[in-house]
Amino acid sequence: MPGFDFSNYNRNAALHARGVPLPKATSTGTTIVGCIYDNGVVIAADTRATSGPIVADKNCEKLHYISPKIWCAGAGTAADTEFTTALISSNVELHSLSTGRDPRVITCMTMLKQHLFRYQGHIGAYLVVAGADPTGVSLFTVHAHGSTDKLPYVTMGSGSLAAMSVFETMWRPNLDREGAVALCSEAIKAGIFNDLGSGSNVDVCVISKDKPTELLRNYMRPNERGHKERNYRFPKGTTAWLNQKIISKEDMKNYVTIENLSGSDELATGEKMEVDS
Amino acid sequence: MNHSAFLRAMTDDHSNPSCPIKLAHGTTTLAFRFQGGIIVCTDSRATAGSWIASQTVKKVIPVSRLSRGEDKASDKPTPGLLGTMAGGAADCQYWLRYLSQQCTLHEIRHKRRITVAAASKILANLTYAYKGYGLSMGTMLAGMTPQEGPALYYIDSDGTRLPGNMFCVGSGQTFAYGVLDANYRYDLSEKEALDLGRRAILAAMHRDAYSGGFINCYHVKEEGWVHHGFDDMNPIFWKTKLDHGEFSNVTSQL
Amino acid sequence: MTSLMGHPSGQTVGYSFSQPTAAPVKEHSFYPYTDNGGSTLGITGSDFAILAGDTRSTSGYSINSRMVPKVFKIGGDDETGKGAHILLSVVGFAADGNALKERLDAVVKMYKYQHGKSMSVTACAQRLSTILYGKRFFPYYVHVILAGLDEEGKGALYSYDPVGSYEREECRAAGAASSLIMPFLDNQVKFKNQYVPGSGEGHALQPKKAEPLPRETVEQLVRDAFTSAVERHIEVGDNLQMMIITRDGIEEIFHPLKKD
Repeated sequence: MPGFDFSNYNRNAALHARGVPLPKATSTGTTIVGCIYDNGVVIAADTRATSGPIVADKNCEKLHYISPKIWCAGAGTAADTEFTTALISSNVELHSLSTGRDPRVITCMTMLKQHLFRYQGHIGAYLVVAGADPTGVSLFTVHAHGSTDKLPYVTMGSGSLAAMSVFETMWRPNLDREGAVALCSEAIKAGIFNDLGSGSNVDVCVISKDKPTELLRNYMRPNERGHKERNYRFPKGTTAWLNQKIISKEDMKNYVTIENLSGSDELATGEKMEVDS
Repeated sequence: MNHSAFLRAMTDDHSNPSCPIKLAHGTTTLAFRFQGGIIVCTDSRATAGSWIASQTVKKVIPVSRLSRGEDKASDKPTPGLLGTMAGGAADCQYWLRYLSQQCTLHEIRHKRRITVAAASKILANLTYAYKGYGLSMGTMLAGMTPQEGPALYYIDSDGTRLPGNMFCVGSGQTFAYGVLDANYRYDLSEKEALDLGRRAILAAMHRDAYSGGFINCYHVKEEGWVHHGFDDMNPIFWKTKLDHGEFSNVTSQL
Repeated sequence: MTSLMGHPSGQTVGYSFSQPTAAPVKEHSFYPYTDNGGSTLGITGSDFAILAGDTRSTSGYSINSRMVPKVFKIGGDDETGKGAHILLSVVGFAADGNALKERLDAVVKMYKYQHGKSMSVTACAQRLSTILYGKRFFPYYVHVILAGLDEEGKGALYSYDPVGSYEREECRAAGAASSLIMPFLDNQVKFKNQYVPGSGEGHALQPKKAEPLPRETVEQLVRDAFTSAVERHIEVGDNLQMMIITRDGIEEIFHPLKKD
């Protein structure tokens, strides 16, 4: 059967009743916002993911693709926002294929709320849905229990109050693109600096009626790491060891295929991991 | 307000793993009488929940001497009693210090040193008076007096007070008893006795996650106690394994 | 309540295997503590001691203030702390921490007035333990570190648990990011798990011996510890406060940290 597997539900409930704590999900204690402007809509998010008080990811992506002109900003349980938006994205695509029309934001929002309502809040996805379609530009919020809102400017997540304070003081009708981007990033920065659950960088997505969508990843980086004053490279031989075993490349060929890359790194296509320099 | 219930809600990480105030706990301590006096050995780890708060705790506390125990190993014996620390670190430190004061006062008032029996009774009466308030301590008092010879007592926060020849206290006690019971003889030589004490602590450190760090060793003789080192368990473990073929379950095979 | 199910109100028909039929018992209890976050650390050298802490005060996901110092001078002659020779850092519940600091400060001052000489760090360390244990049955929700110079002029550092068990150490981290900083200190100050390359084969390999570090190195380690803790702990940030005690007195340095 496709979908969710509930076979461990009763076991987990019994364990929980006996005091076994539930495993901690990575939650994006987050600031996400959205704002409509004269010719489109802007959504933005911070990039911090936390697990309790620990920062799990300093530069995660909270803006999710639904269709070329519909995007979601997600707060709540990281895995739930990720998979819910991916699922709805697939269904939106299939729907658009079978109808032969461009997908509509309200369709996407309805699919999301019906999916989330069915799971009674157990899927912890809190979303800002934004996009442009043949009916115009729209902006919605969808809560984990299935309720929705339609507003000209919205905020969600633990930093929503900080972000909303910016909207309530600076928002005015008929913003232009630049004004909306500036306002949204200012709102995200309010979340980043005043809400402990939010932090690091500002991601922005601009969707307009007549231009392709722009994803401005790390549009602002107001939190560069302080440089390290000492060098923490250990001389070779610092670590004690009891035994060593050398596996030669020839031995490894028994288990995997080995291809040598040429000197230029064009062939290496894997994504580079971000590390401190 | 019910103080002990409140205290338990705030500090007891056994019944409530997410309690806000984590206190230092967890230990292996032992002491035994033999032909040459009394051996007192401990580990040095303090834990607060699963967090190792310290690996350098001095769990043998000199009693009836007011200077705090930062004693360097030397052959010169220091007169007085020794107390050991298991359970709440603060409870043991505070009440053994209180006991030191009472012992000093006893010396001043009676012009002779307090007996181990009397000292242990001061402590046991104290813990009994506080019974139910949530103190946590399991302590051994060791000393030698002209009246008693070598004397060893076990006192805990329930109010128990027992004289005896051999005690192991703490979360690693069973492991230490296992080694001690198998190899103990009354006529052990001084070196054999010290080695046995160390070996028993080592066994406990090896198998009990709440014990570890350094092995602390004391010998109580007629003239007083002598400190026999505060040694990192790791080299001792490997020496024990490689030289004597023990701990053969631990291998470095890949 | 009106029920359409023909069952007494408050009871639901259970189709699942679990039986949470009765309403969960609501328990209201006395909870007088708040965790105000933040982190502190102390390191000693041969002729100095450093105590440092961030200056953020939090509750939940909110920042109460970006400038609440956690390191204090104890036993100074005036409110600026001039003439003090002991440092105290407090982390945990700020109200308890403040009360404790005020109390120790008063004790050290009274000692000077009554005995005509300033209190030794050893004596102050013992007194602080007694003060903490005095509230054994209603503890100060704090993790404190005391620093100064001992009788020989060497750096002295004492760390405490909330009810007063204490120990003299070379380095200690406390508070929210202690589990992030303490392993770093063990490795970089006491050289734990570091061996001297080429000093022997197998078990003969010699561990790297720890010795007191120079002040410059220690200051760098403190700053690196905090800039790193800020990266991974949400309750640490805003500013770094460092107090260095030497024979010549106490120096206080502030250093900006990330504010997100």
